[in-house]
Amino acid sequence: MTVERTVTIVPEAGLHARPASAFVQAVNDHEAEVSAGRPDGDLVQAASMIAVTSLGVGQGDDIKLVADGPDAEAVLDELERILTTPEEELDTDDG
Amino acid sequence: MTDAISADDIEELIPADHISLSEPPAEKEACIESLLDLLVDGGRVENRERALEALLERESETTTGVGMGIGIPHAKTDAVSRPSLAFVRSQEGVDFGSMDGEPATLIFMILVPETGGEEHLNILSSLSRALMHDDVRDRLHEAEDEATVQDALREAIA
Repeated sequence: MTVERTVTIVPEAGLHARPASAFVQAVNDHEAEVSAGRPDGDLVQAASMIAVTSLGVGQGDDIKLVADGPDAEAVLDELERILTTPEEELDTDDG
Repeated sequence: MTDAISADDIEELIPADHISLSEPPAEKEACIESLLDLLVDGGRVENRERALEALLERESETTTGVGMGIGIPHAKTDAVSRPSLAFVRSQEGVDFGSMDGEPATLIFMILVPETGGEEHLNILSSLSRALMHDDVRDRLHEAEDEATVQDALREAIA
């Protein structure tokens, strides 16, 4: 199942620093292939920190997420939560 | 987003004396200090202590080891007055605690002034985009002098 969603980024840091590491971690914790990118641009592997960093998406920018796999819906829910939670309220589960 | 950095910016961002091709310290924090010293010696840093503090604070938030053997410690700090980039490479690899478990062998430092807005994100994303290519990483590993490093960056970022 392939699902797609576009989310506007809330954390002040953008998709960078803690939000970025929570994002990549969440992708790696789910059974789904996820790609991400600007709505009008190329998509990159969301499981790779350097790829996510290369997008350079900041606060207020839109990001398109495409997920494929058994956890597709769940991973997009989690990614949306990370991208729409102000950084200071983000509780990251690094364990 | 404002424009990403361009090839013309390389000489200003990373002149040859911001590049070291000798083996850096094997420990992450010492490695970060050695990169910082390249920028200090290059006359870019007005306050070494404050710059180091900003870099380590950023590291404590989450590592700048972005995987694929790359580390990009960076900070926004009023200890610098213009965007500056430094580079070292390691044969041994420095443990940057990246998610893919790969030690960093190509390590860049970015310092931008506090007033730089999104500039540090632009430099960070341009550099990351360039470094995702295998041939760019190979060229940086094989470069025999600083000018070759600059050329590789110029072409990769163009």
